[in-house]
Amino acid sequence: MIQFDKVTKRYPGSDEILKNISFNIDAGEFVFLTGHSGAGKSTLLKLIAATERPTSGTVLIANQNVNQLKPSAIPFLRRRFGLIFQDHKLLYDRNCFENVILPLRINGITGQEAAKRVRAALDKVGLLNKEKAMPITLSGGEQQRLAIARAVVSRPSILLADEPTGNLDASYAADIMAIFYAFNQVGVTVIMSTHDALGMSARQNRVMHINQGSLTEHLLKESHVDQALSSIERSTS
Amino acid sequence: MNNWLNQHIQTLKLVLSRMRNNMLSTFMICLVIGVAMCLPSLFYLAVDNLSKLTEHMQKDTEISLFLKVDINPDAIKKIEQQLAKNQDIQRFHLVTKEEAWQQLQVKSKSNQDVNDAVSQLGKNPLPDAFFIQAKSSDPDSLIQLKDTLQHLPNVELALLNTEWVKRLSSLLNLGKKLISMIAGLLAIVLLVIIGNTVRMQILTQKDEIEVSNLIGATRSFIRMPFLYAGALYGLFGGLLAVLMLVGMIQAFNLSMSQIAHLYSNDFSLTLFDAQLFLTVMMSAIGIGWVGSYIAVSRAIASYKIN
Repeated sequence: MIQFDKVTKRYPGSDEILKNISFNIDAGEFVFLTGHSGAGKSTLLKLIAATERPTSGTVLIANQNVNQLKPSAIPFLRRRFGLIFQDHKLLYDRNCFENVILPLRINGITGQEAAKRVRAALDKVGLLNKEKAMPITLSGGEQQRLAIARAVVSRPSILLADEPTGNLDASYAADIMAIFYAFNQVGVTVIMSTHDALGMSARQNRVMHINQGSLTEHLLKESHVDQALSSIERSTS
Repeated sequence: MNNWLNQHIQTLKLVLSRMRNNMLSTFMICLVIGVAMCLPSLFYLAVDNLSKLTEHMQKDTEISLFLKVDINPDAIKKIEQQLAKNQDIQRFHLVTKEEAWQQLQVKSKSNQDVNDAVSQLGKNPLPDAFFIQAKSSDPDSLIQLKDTLQHLPNVELALLNTEWVKRLSSLLNLGKKLISMIAGLLAIVLLVIIGNTVRMQILTQKDEIEVSNLIGATRSFIRMPFLYAGALYGLFGGLLAVLMLVGMIQAFNLSMSQIAHLYSNDFSLTLFDAQLFLTVMMSAIGIGWVGSYIAVSRAIASYKIN
């Protein structure tokens, strides 16, 4: 589904953010992307979503080489993704319903069909009763859930989430994680960046760790989680 | 097709509701466009109607052929035959010195001073005269005809007063050139104004453009609401311009009817000049569309991915 081959990314006037990275993500996987702030997690997600282009190497999304795509083809590539940002990027000049319907408008879906899908998406994230509310009146967790509803309403095959729980407290974060797992269960590929994957997963997940631009991979096991949790408990008690 | 139409309708609704929310500023922008469109239109109306008026006058141009005072009736007959044979003349009529004298006496009755002067004259000082209307209204051929008539025997003076008509029509041609220059300048001003307005809107809707871009909106999708906004500004501005024009023509006609009455001439401006109004509307819409296209294309280019 997503293939990186010797991808290097450098911004003008900076060091290499990502060095010679290769990996392969299959359809239906749930992948955590970890690393310190500034390690290049967001950059990697941007490369997948084709909002950035690699300095060298190739990025293949569904067997399409992003480098060789015409600018006019990129919007259609992006429609395969549901993007969730740490700062939500909600539009505060319209209510929840109007926020969620935006991707459908872009896809040319309107009318009853669109309304039905918006309500289904809002229902999935538990915001069906806030349809008419303005985003500014929602709590941080609700805003993030609204952003998720917007990301999934067009039924993308890949969800890209950039630190979706970064600004939330533990109980909200657990809600959000549960939503992501639910989508993964119905076959959606989820790629999620976070700086503390250990604290939020109770399952076996693939973890890609970025450190100083290089990638290391391991499987997150329940035992790790238990260790991590107990270490957190020790440090907090 | 249905989808496509739906999308346009949705966008139009969105743009209209945004305009309704910013009624005052929308009105201001439309007013600026309206006034800017109004100026060259008014100028055009003035020049166009003046040139129609001069054409009218040129058609009425007569050559007055004054005969020698001591001419005998046979000679008059001879001239009459010659005039009848001339191909360039449409019609002519003779006013004999007696008829002219009578007309003068009748006309001068209302004015005491002239009446006194006329009655003191005692005998008729007026010559016999032919009033000739040429077939062509072209000033050059009129002058040629006048020269030919001047050289007929027993003709004292052939009089043609077309010089001022000629000068006026060349002035009007200059006026027409001026209009296109002013219209061109105002079109540039409008492009800048509308472009700037749309640029301000883009700034306030920067988030929407950014998010739309991220979730896979095509450029034309992002552009659409702004293009509609620009075209609508043009439409409303054009409508305002037409309303103002109608108002001004109406006011002009009211005061003109008094003046025209004094000159016993029923000159007035056409209230609904469909061609002019259509041109005003179409160019306003076109300028609005182009202005916002330039602004939004520049904005999208600045958000472009690397």
